[in-house]
Amino acid sequence: MDYIKSDRNFKLIVLGGSAGSFSVVSKILSQLKPDFKIPLVLSLHRLKHVRSGLVESLSYKSAIEIIEPCDKDKINNNFAYLAPSNYHLFVEFDGTLSLSTEESNNHSRPSIDYTLSSAAYAYRDKTLGILLTGANRDGAQGLKDIADHNGYTIVQDPKTCDIDTMPLAALRLFTPNQILTPDQIVQFLNSLPQ
Amino acid sequence: MQNSEEDITIKEYLQILKDSSPYDFSEYSDNSIYRRIHKVMRDYRLSLNELVAKTKSDQEFVEQIVEAVTVNTTELFRDPSVWVYILQKLLPQFKNNPNINIWHAGCSSGQEVYSNLILLDHLGLLKQSTVYATDISQKVLDQAKKGVYKYRFNLNYIENFNQVLGVNEPKVDFSKYFDINESEDRIVVKDFLRTLPKFMKHDLVQEKLPFYNKFDIIFCRNVLIYFNSGLQSRIIQRFHDNLFPGGSMILGTHEAITGFFKTKFVKNGPVYLKSNVFHFKY
Repeated sequence: MDYIKSDRNFKLIVLGGSAGSFSVVSKILSQLKPDFKIPLVLSLHRLKHVRSGLVESLSYKSAIEIIEPCDKDKINNNFAYLAPSNYHLFVEFDGTLSLSTEESNNHSRPSIDYTLSSAAYAYRDKTLGILLTGANRDGAQGLKDIADHNGYTIVQDPKTCDIDTMPLAALRLFTPNQILTPDQIVQFLNSLPQ
Repeated sequence: MQNSEEDITIKEYLQILKDSSPYDFSEYSDNSIYRRIHKVMRDYRLSLNELVAKTKSDQEFVEQIVEAVTVNTTELFRDPSVWVYILQKLLPQFKNNPNINIWHAGCSSGQEVYSNLILLDHLGLLKQSTVYATDISQKVLDQAKKGVYKYRFNLNYIENFNQVLGVNEPKVDFSKYFDINESEDRIVVKDFLRTLPKFMKHDLVQEKLPFYNKFDIIFCRNVLIYFNSGLQSRIIQRFHDNLFPGGSMILGTHEAITGFFKTKFVKNGPVYLKSNVFHFKY
């Protein structure tokens, strides 16, 4: 397999995942270069019964600091922002994050669609969207919104997914720029100009 | 909205709503209010121009818009760890107070009002407590007064309840405070709690406060996230003005106060205490 790289300049990376995504996200975060600058926004579904502890578990190996943001927190370089349990997380035009307790979307709060779409509108072609394994179609439309706004899109290779419903839902809607394995996603991210 | 007849923007619509009704959403946070207005347009199948026409001519419809635009998701003991703190650390401080005044601002359908009343009852503080609960929407207030909630959809209420009151001795059973009717798929707050709160329709943004007394505790959870920063500050100032010295303000777990107000409150666990330090008004 070719070495995957890109020289596009991104201002924001948004990443969505559901069932099975914990280990993939954990792998990506742990293998990022320690000086990885571009901020990451993570919208991950959680099991209702295990609402707390996700940020701690991901932080354990992560190369960069992970924060569960408060409403209207500014997005800074060198950080990853994890949607807090039971809130939707939105990216705003002024480079801040906002939260909402609106109704669930696709039975999910946080809704990956909401996070990804808001990033598409706010950061347009400076957005990199990544959709990982999951058992639900939340996220597919949001990733398409990023593509429609000239952002760059990556879907996890369904063959490498614990549950491929989410990536397949995205692939039915549109054709992303890349379909990559978790290892290739890491390569891609670490090749980006910082 | 690619329709060429859509010659006004949502911002302009909010101004029209403000001019033709008692409601002002112009300082709500852009992204969320736009999303909600689009939802109203979808639900009612209206273009923005049609929405304007109906808003100007139909006051009853305006009330429906207010209900549709405001977010009314709440749950019993949302964020159990916050309620454990309230139970173990905050409320016991009031046990020698002859009066405890509490305000739930933006109470929605009342679940957190009842969460708090349950803790007050558990600590034997119900008699000296006066609990006000306000919201902009009459519809959710009516629901709150009835104290009837879906059962199956809200099974997490019982889990949350048990995390707060089912752990330490004496353990308390959910049925002490609620009648569960599985066949009709509902849970009902028992009358001895249900009749206590004073529910009032009140718009936090626009109206004078509907009471004269100051408060020991103000709950306002996950309301400020829908406002822009300027409006957030004004509402927090309002809470500050209406708290007794040392009084407590409880926000959502991911709502923070910023800038100037950091000096006016001291954070203690999940609770913001009104600081007693004297500050000049700016």
